[in-house]
Parts: sequence; C-alpha cells; structure tokens
Amino acid sequence: MAKDISTRCVVTGLGMISAIGNSVDECWENALAGKTGIDKVQSVDTTDCYANLGAEVKCDSLDDIDEAKKVDRVSKLCLKASAEACQDAGLVVNEENAGRVGVIMGSCVGGVVSIENYINNGEKTEDINRMSIASIANHVANYIGAKGVVTNVGNACAAGSISIAYACELIRAGVADAFVVGGADAFASVPFSGFLALHALSEETCSPFNHSNGITLGEGSGAIVVESYEHAMKRNAKIYCDVLSAGISSDAHHITAPRPDGLGQMYAIRTAMERSGLTAKDIGYINAHGTGTAKNDEAEFLSIHTIFDEANDDLTVSSTKAMVGHCLGAAGAIEAVFAIKALTENDIPPTIGYSDEDMEALAEKAGKLDFRPNEMCHKEMTSVMSNSFAFGGSNASIIFSKNPGNMDEVESDEKVYITGIGIVSPLGNGLDNYIEKVKAGITPECTSLEASVGKEDYDKFGVKMAFYRKLDKFSIMQVISGLEALENSGIEITPENAEQLGMIIGTGDGPLTTVYEFQEHISENGTIAGSAFNFPNTVYNAAGGYLSIKTGMRGYNVTVTNGAQAGMSSVCYAYNEIKQNRAKVMLATGTDENSRVMNKLYGQLGMIADSVNETYQGGNGFTLADGSTTITLEEGAYAESHNAKKYAEVAGYAMTHEPIVYGEVNGSEQGLANAIRDAVAMAGISMDDIDAIYGFGNGMKTVDDIECSVYGELFGGTCPVHCIKNITGEGRAAASALTVAHAALVLSGDIQGEQKAYYVNKNEVRTAMVDTSAYKYVLTTSYAVGGSYSAVILKKAE
Amino acid sequence: MNEKELEIAENIKGMLSKNLRIPEEELDYEIALFGDGIGLDSVDSLEIIACIDSAYGVAMTGVAKEHFYNITSLTKYVVEHM
Repeated sequence: MAKDISTRCVVTGLGMISAIGNSVDECWENALAGKTGIDKVQSVDTTDCYANLGAEVKCDSLDDIDEAKKVDRVSKLCLKASAEACQDAGLVVNEENAGRVGVIMGSCVGGVVSIENYINNGEKTEDINRMSIASIANHVANYIGAKGVVTNVGNACAAGSISIAYACELIRAGVADAFVVGGADAFASVPFSGFLALHALSEETCSPFNHSNGITLGEGSGAIVVESYEHAMKRNAKIYCDVLSAGISSDAHHITAPRPDGLGQMYAIRTAMERSGLTAKDIGYINAHGTGTAKNDEAEFLSIHTIFDEANDDLTVSSTKAMVGHCLGAAGAIEAVFAIKALTENDIPPTIGYSDEDMEALAEKAGKLDFRPNEMCHKEMTSVMSNSFAFGGSNASIIFSKNPGNMDEVESDEKVYITGIGIVSPLGNGLDNYIEKVKAGITPECTSLEASVGKEDYDKFGVKMAFYRKLDKFSIMQVISGLEALENSGIEITPENAEQLGMIIGTGDGPLTTVYEFQEHISENGTIAGSAFNFPNTVYNAAGGYLSIKTGMRGYNVTVTNGAQAGMSSVCYAYNEIKQNRAKVMLATGTDENSRVMNKLYGQLGMIADSVNETYQGGNGFTLADGSTTITLEEGAYAESHNAKKYAEVAGYAMTHEPIVYGEVNGSEQGLANAIRDAVAMAGISMDDIDAIYGFGNGMKTVDDIECSVYGELFGGTCPVHCIKNITGEGRAAASALTVAHAALVLSGDIQGEQKAYYVNKNEVRTAMVDTSAYKYVLTTSYAVGGSYSAVILKKAE
Repeated sequence: MNEKELEIAENIKGMLSKNLRIPEEELDYEIALFGDGIGLDSVDSLEIIACIDSAYGVAMTGVAKEHFYNITSLTKYVVEHM
C-alpha cells in the first residue's frame, strides 16, 4: 500500500529576535503597534554611503546561552530565537527521542561578521569555523541535543521559509517527528555594501508597496518548533496551528531580479494552495515578501492580483519589513512567526510609512486587495500565507492554518534511479574522462588540487561569454556539471516539463571565496567600494540560480549546506522530492571550491596534509580539492519514457547528527552508525546484504578512525571499503556527491573489474583487490565536521 | 582619439576586462557593450559607473544610455566631464 504523506504537521513553539524586540511577545506587540526598529546603522561603517539606515537587534543577553559564547553573531541570534521556541513548545530532547528530532536553519550570509573579524583583526583561527552557514544548525542541534536531520538552507531571502517546508516534508516522509526550524542573519558589511552597490538600499525607512525605492536591511532570527500532530498530542503540547503545504520554485530568469511577469512566484503560490487542498478564497492574509524595491513590489502585487482578484473578496495583505527591515535569510522565518501570530491572534500587523498622499496611490495599486497601511486590523481567519522571494530567482510560499487542510497525498510507488552524471574535478571534466582516469589508477601528486573550467567546456555546452563571465568559479563548476548530467540522462527541458524539473545543490563552504574577497576589498577601500558585479555571487544559491537560468528548469530549487556531506544529503533531499511527487526529475549536486582563500583557511586549521596520504594510514591531514558533481535522479516511469540509462536505483537514505563541538569529528561515531542502520532499514535490507561501502575516508586520521571504528562494529571488518578521495582528494561536497556517482558507475558496470578495497576494523586495516562486478547493494557514506552524516544505499538497477 | 583619450579608453577597456570578466580579445573600442554586443546588463552598468567615478571622479548615475554604448562613447563622456 502506498505510504500516506499527509501527516499533520503542527506548530508548537515560536521564537523571535529582531530590531523590534528580543522575544515573540515584544516583537508582536511592536509590529501590531507599527513601531519600527529602523534607525541609523551602528555596526557597519557607513562613511560616504548614500544610505545609512538599518534594523539592528538591541540585545545584551545573547551570550547568556553557553553554546552562544564562542559562535558568530548569526548563530547567537539563532540560538536566542531557538531557545525561546523550544521553551515555548516545552520540547524536551532526550536519548529516547533525539534521533527523531532535527534542526533546519536558513541563512543568506551566514557567519560573514566573522569573515570581517578575521580579515580586520589579525586572522585568528577561531574565526574560521564561524564563517560558513553550515555551523548555524549545528549549534542549535548541540544546544537542544538533536540527533536527527541537521542542515541549513542557503536560499538567500527565501531560506527561512524553505527550512520550514523541508522539515514538514521530512516529517511526512516519516524520517523525523519534530524539528526546530527557522532562519537567521546578522547585520554585516558585506550585504550592506552589496545592496548599496546595487542601489537597492532606500535612503529613508523602507515602506514596501509604497514608494518602492529600496530596502532597509535588518537582522534577527525566527524559530519555530514544528512536529507531527501525533507527536504533539502524545506530549500534550499546545498547538498554534497546522503547517499545510509549501510551493517552491525557480524563476529561471535573472540572478538578482524577479521575473516581471511573476510566473515563478505564481507557481509557488498556486502549488502551496493546491498541495494544501485549498483554493484562493481560503486565504485570509498574506504576509508578503514586500521588500520595498520596485521590481519586487511590482512583480509580487501582479502575482497576488492575478491569483486572488477574481477568487477572493476578503484578502488582507501587509509586509512587516517596514518594521523589522529585510532580515535576508531570517526574513522567511520571522515573517512565518508573524503570519502564525496573525492567524492565531486574529490580528494583522500593518505596513507603516504611508502618508495621506500615498494612500491615494495605494488605493489604485491595491485595487480589491485589503492592503493594510499604517494600522493593524482585527480579522477572523482560517488560513494565512507567507511569501518569500530571493536572489537567484528563488520563490517560496507556505500556508499555515487553523484546520488540517485537505491533504490526501500518497508517496509515489515508483522507484528512483540515477540516470545521469556530470563531473567537474581536478582530474579534468566530464564523465568519460573520470572513468578513464579511474581506470588508469590516477592518484593526487600534491596536497592541493583545483578543477578548472574553460573554453572547451563552454563550447561543449553552448555557454556564451555574456553568461559565463558573470559566474565565479563555484557557480561555473556547478553549471557545467549540471549541464553534463542533464545531457547524460537525455533530459530535454521544455516549457511543458520545466516546472517538473528541480535541483538540490549541496555545498559545504558555498561561495566563501567570493564572500571573503568581497570583504577583503571593502575592508581595504570602505563599505562604499563594494562591487555590484560580484555581490550576487556571494549568496549560496547563486550556483543553483545560474543553473536554472541556463537550463530553464523552473521547479523545486534549494541549496543545502551542512559541510562536506552536503553533496550526499542533496541526494537524500532530491530523492524525497520525487517520492513526494514534487518533481519527475531532480538534480542532486555537490560543489565546493579550492582557491587561494580556501587553501589558506584549511591550512590554518591544520587540515591539509604535509604530503599526500592514502586513507587509513594515519595521516595528519588530507589533500584539499574541489569540483562539482551532479547526479540526475528520475522517477522510474519518467526515465523509461525517454529510455534513460539507469546507472543504479536509490534504495534508501538517512541523515543523522551527533552533537559534538563544531569543527571536530571526534566522538561522533554513533552518528555514522545511526545513519547506516537507518538507511539499511529504509532500503528494507539487512547489513549482510551490503556488498561494499563507498566511504568518506580522506587520509586524515581523525576522520578515517571514525570509519574504521564504525565499519568494524557494524560489519566486523568483512565488508570491502572503497575510497574515492584517494583519487580526487577531499573535494568536500563535490566528493560526497562523487562517492554516490562513483558507486553508481560500479553498479552499472561503467567502472568494472577488480578495484582496490580496504577491510577496516578498529585496530586493523588490510587491503585487497576486489572484484566489484557482482555487487548488488552498496552503501555510500559521508561526514561533516560537527558530527553530521549522510548515508545512501544504491541497488543495481534491474 | 588623441593620446589622452587613448589612455582613458585603454583604462576603461582594462577595467571592463578585470572587473566584469570580459575577455580582452572580445573587446575593442567600438563594439556595443550592451544588447547584442558584449551583452552587459543593468548590474554591469552600476559597476562601470562605480569604476569611472573612482578612477576619474566623473559621476555617470542617471546619464543617458547612449554614453554607455561603447568604450569610445564612455571615453568621450569622461573627457568632457573630467
């Protein structure tokens, strides 16, 4: 019988910190009163800048939480909101339920304050592990003791909303019971300078849908405890509302501007309603994205008018950014909390800043919509919507309701296959090249390897100069591997199937090199000197945005970032989207960059080996590498409809976390063991069925020891382990995705014959040449510093 | 172009190549920078404005499109407003 995926997901706890308050109650009271938190910026040097306003948090108790003492400001904000949400929910995580509790956080710029600190204040090692988005959810997971799925969403200004949506998808998939979700971003020089360079900052307090002459940046965090209804009832939790469905889409239009015709936004809004079993007349309030830029406000009003004008005579709309500013990756989460409060309190916060003259213009723009200027209103509602739209053309719309909605979906009973592979690696680019190099037994010759993309790649895939010159290395590697994977699977993108094709981009460090260089430049030349050209590439989802623009793929599009394992957790995420009928085809990728900057940072952390190390030989570090791997996943029937080659079937997956200090791996063995056990269980097989492991060993003793210990315990040293990082180096997310791709190539017979394998136990490692031709089930594993693990089971395709 | 204009044009060309990652071999002084030529867009024009302001103290915000047509027209505008 097909699995029901209509599990009720309910909100049981709320947390918030923003410029208008340090708690949900304080923020809510001020939002309803129309009090703005926007003032002259204190934390960024605004000398010579045409705009100098911001919505900064004023809170002197951020460090009261122990976990918050040694983390970036973004994590401090996130911990503050998460602690409030958990307390509000009365959520107690213990040994019994920890594996079923996860954390998903959204962010746009992550630990960019620590990048500024590092550059300006003596390049301290302690700042390095605070730089990326990846650490945020880890800190929250450690604080509450969560051992389930722990990850971050990097979709810029839509990240907060997507994190809520993804948590519900995982609960409905049955892999978790509860999540702390949300988003966070800190006020910082990089986004201020970037939006300034784009002339997107308003000189005055922003007033969305009004003069629309720019945004005012803010900071803060919103956090929500979302859990299955059953789980909430079992522990007698108070329930705010249901989270119904979400719509997530990509514009495939422009890296910073929304589509003027609102096509992508409308697809997200309509999908959210359709999957929730609601129609336009059921929505009582929309907390709009409403940034205050002309392009956003025009496109969003067009989308809302088009969908709701004829269908709903009683729709109220407002944007709370006039009070809290645009909090980027926190925006979706903060606005979700506002939307939930509006729903449950029956009060709607206003958009402030409208003069009498403005009201006349508003009347014309709003038409039938009950747009709420200046003052709150009281209104009984059943369901509300929160919209978030982001750089990269990323759109998310999510619905909260007092009712369970009319969701009656079942999981697809189709199998999911790997049908295409694209590879950019230090060995050269292209799948055939990779297979050839593997057969030739190539190994790294030095401890820092870099992939490169050039004219041959551009010509092969018809990428024109006007397009590729915009992209940094991180994005162009992703675009090339993505195009190859699509070509390899024989997928043609047409207007008819464009919304059925999605992608999950996985990355550990994202565009850290570009962000670092942007900060370096403004540290030297002032906030006013930011580059409008480079700024769009500082968001983590730029790579996915460009791939969507290049291919025309307008479906689900999310960037996940949770360390080196992100290239494998993207496979888990993408698989779930196909099983839950949101896409017929999903690209799952892993991309990470090596560069002057990354080499310096990993070198300072002491992770780069003195000399090239083979795995399990007790080396002091790894070979730092990079690249991009894209895997096409397809629903079985769709693959058969165009006679796609099936490299392997995805039979099961798991993502786990073991709370340890971020930046380390010691002591997280249980996380790997849990991931393997859960993936094996999901695949419906036993440990004995696993013919081989494609692991994550990279030559660094502390990492390799985790594998030896766990594989020894679970397989008794009898299961052969293959290590692709001996070929390509530690490419982080690129390597974890390549691990899956490589295993699929072995199962398909593209990589044949005897391969070197390790038999590992806690105290013993031996090697042997193993015939791989009879493999039926293989386990692939990946790790991240901070104790997160992914495991994927592949089965030989029938 | 006179010597001074040539120097400015060469500087602008170098800036377009370095800051907007346009391969130098694709650039000459006459090729259209926007539209069907090099294919620059509004974000690129912001970068050009910032660079010209920084290098020559010439403000080009709000200046008519035709002055951004190619390197020659940019050079002419800079020379006339320095």
